[in-house]
Amino acid sequence: MPPTLRVLRDALLGAGLLAGATSAPADDLTLDNAWLRAVPPVAPAMAGYFELYNRGNRSVRLDGAEVRFAGSAVLRETVVSKDGQRRERGLEEVRLDPGDRLRFRRGRRFLQLTALTDVPRAGQRVEVCLTFTNHGDLCADFEVRHSAP
Amino acid sequence: MLTVFRSWPVLAGLLLLAACAEPRQELPVNTRLGGDFTLTDHHGQPFRLADQQGRVVLMFFGYTHCPDICPATLARVSQVYRNLREAGDADAVQPLFITFDPSRDTPAHLSEYVPWFKANVIGLTGSEAEIRAVAEQYGVVYLQSGDGAAEYDFTHSDYVYLLDQQGRVRKLYPSDFNIDEVTDDVQSLL
Repeated sequence: MPPTLRVLRDALLGAGLLAGATSAPADDLTLDNAWLRAVPPVAPAMAGYFELYNRGNRSVRLDGAEVRFAGSAVLRETVVSKDGQRRERGLEEVRLDPGDRLRFRRGRRFLQLTALTDVPRAGQRVEVCLTFTNHGDLCADFEVRHSAP
Repeated sequence: MLTVFRSWPVLAGLLLLAACAEPRQELPVNTRLGGDFTLTDHHGQPFRLADQQGRVVLMFFGYTHCPDICPATLARVSQVYRNLREAGDADAVQPLFITFDPSRDTPAHLSEYVPWFKANVIGLTGSEAEIRAVAEQYGVVYLQSGDGAAEYDFTHSDYVYLLDQQGRVRKLYPSDFNIDEVTDDVQSLL
């Protein structure tokens, strides 16, 4: 979603003018185990992982993220075929129904960051804002690590 | 424990059990995959696998634009290498990273990428034909997706290969291999 549209959408969500806005307060989503895999400073891309839990009573639709140091932050999925080949494909959005816990983890789903203007180092904590089509952004510090927490 | 070992019959029994434990199975040689090849290393110099004779090789195919599997696998290979270094065995082992994205993974780029893993990894690239030939030797399948787009990625197999001191394939691992298993397998060849 373009930044200008996102600002408009967030303003409307804040004013409760979009469907679902009033049913999705900020504390209805829980983000756990959020981290980015440490990569070399020249790496063109890096991946983020997290667990998202919908504690609310309405479905939400995750559609991407915004990250200060990445020109692009998209949801991706690794699909393994019967012959063992791996193929990555984009996810337009991921729906979380009430009570759903969504895990983004290595080799399955991940947040792909590309067009990196800066590559954070292991040990740093960087803000990543998950974005939704029917919910305000959910921002949190992701720790840069060599392996999963 | 000391009390137990005062009983010599018990100690003798334990020693007998240890002696009778099944010896580690020798890793079989895979005769369908592998072979010598020459590519270009991340210093821009020719690299021939046969020149590694006498060293165990851990080999992985990937590309540096790969955000998920490839850096994770290289990190695991690096951990194996660090384990071996702590055991004093690192000099007998050579990790290799072969890109199947030579247009972006130039020697210059690889020379900035692979040293970061601190595992003496040699990055290898070459012409598309050279890399394709090596991939076929090792049964690696990869397919560029994106049809000429500026940004593209690959559908690919992602096994890690263990080669013995004669360059023969002895075992394949999934990219999320068990680090202790690979460390033990390498040491079994030394």
